[in-house]
Amino acid sequence: MSTPYNFAFLDENTKRMLRRALLKAVAIPGYQVPFGSREMPLPYGWGTGGIQVTAALLGPDDVLKVIDQGADDTTNAVNIRRFFGRVAGVATTERTADASVIQTRHRIPEIPLREDQLLVFQVPEPEPLRTLEPREAETRTMHALADYGLMHVKLYEDIAQYGHIATSYDYPVMVDGRYLTSPSPIPKFDNPKLDRSPALMLFGAGREKRLYAIPPYTRVESLAFDDHPFEIQRWEHHCALCGAGDSYLDEVVVDDRGTRMFVCSDTDYCSQRRDDATEEAA
Amino acid sequence: MMLAAFTHPVFDSQRNFRELLQAMARPASPRTLPVLAPAPVPATPAAMAILLTLCDTSTSVWLQQADEALSQHLRFHTGCGLVQTPVEADFALITDPTTMPPLDTFALGDPRYPDRSASLIVQVEAFHANTGPRFAGPGIRDVERVRIDGLPERFWRERVALASRLPLGIDLYFVAAQNILALPRTTRQLED
Repeated sequence: MSTPYNFAFLDENTKRMLRRALLKAVAIPGYQVPFGSREMPLPYGWGTGGIQVTAALLGPDDVLKVIDQGADDTTNAVNIRRFFGRVAGVATTERTADASVIQTRHRIPEIPLREDQLLVFQVPEPEPLRTLEPREAETRTMHALADYGLMHVKLYEDIAQYGHIATSYDYPVMVDGRYLTSPSPIPKFDNPKLDRSPALMLFGAGREKRLYAIPPYTRVESLAFDDHPFEIQRWEHHCALCGAGDSYLDEVVVDDRGTRMFVCSDTDYCSQRRDDATEEAA
Repeated sequence: MMLAAFTHPVFDSQRNFRELLQAMARPASPRTLPVLAPAPVPATPAAMAILLTLCDTSTSVWLQQADEALSQHLRFHTGCGLVQTPVEADFALITDPTTMPPLDTFALGDPRYPDRSASLIVQVEAFHANTGPRFAGPGIRDVERVRIDGLPERFWRERVALASRLPLGIDLYFVAAQNILALPRTTRQLED
């Protein structure tokens, strides 16, 4: 641990500001709390919001896991894990079950989370209405009035144009029946995991300076219509490495002749399934 | 003589915060604060631990019983501003719940910014889990039961009246000895 920094990089005033905002975020599920986002030693878009939330949470006894699109071994995940290893001296892990805090970019782990775990999302755009209404003052008013007709019109236009709701990630949800909320760009495959999750879920958007939360056991509904119910993606393939038929798959090009394979996006889930299979065979 | 604050400010407030976060995320379920802090009367060590964990120069605190030693202690250790009226407070310390002001005299937030609302730290005699009124809402799987001793009867009527203002409201931290229990605005008391 390098000494020139305070524990977990941020100064204590910043941590207290984040902590007060996080407590209000939990008290008002799905509502975006403004906070004074700090400049971090990596650029916006690399998880500055998630990192600040994690820094406000971490203690010396925590075990941190960081995933990027489900993978523990991509640049973003490795960097953030190393960052906290250096400035907080916390233990890190790649195993979902061993982690007390999991910071994630764009996925929710396949293994169900427990009550004693915290999930921190890196959020690029916290405002689900932003592509429909660019003015912050307007979207705030829409949230205040729970005026979400515009989003229903957008989903309806999808159906009118394509015959189905074409949104496949960052699929908008209603939290506790009150606030329209962005689940961050997770695939809609992961949306059902938000509903009544045993683990507390925290969301941080560094550039947009907002954070929000979904408390445990909270109703989270993906928007849909009676005649066009919400559906998650399905594949005709199984994971080429572990054979899983129930996980979210990435399509990977493996040579220059266009050969493709489908593999689990959650690398920890995949490698554990393979370990288990090897053990059974032995 | 001036009392000390946390022995290890960074780690003590981090440990307390994690319990406060879980308390707020799992309402009506008592938890234990890991680190207490010396407190001048009428504040208790648990209430002081919450104030030291969350307050600094950017927060304003209202004390129900404005004691000079307590005011000095808070100003010295947190630098927080002490305000004269409940409506100005980010945090309010209720040391005698029986004579506390009505809940709607505190800031409930703005419809566009419901987070600009008061958090109350209420010192009560005790709470007993798995008995008494039932609560439901976000953070509670089915129902939680808890009885809180030392609150005036009007308190619950005032809290029910605030429910119609959601998402405006106030968030409550109850402390008794080393225990804390949170009731965010979204937690509903069920009728028996």
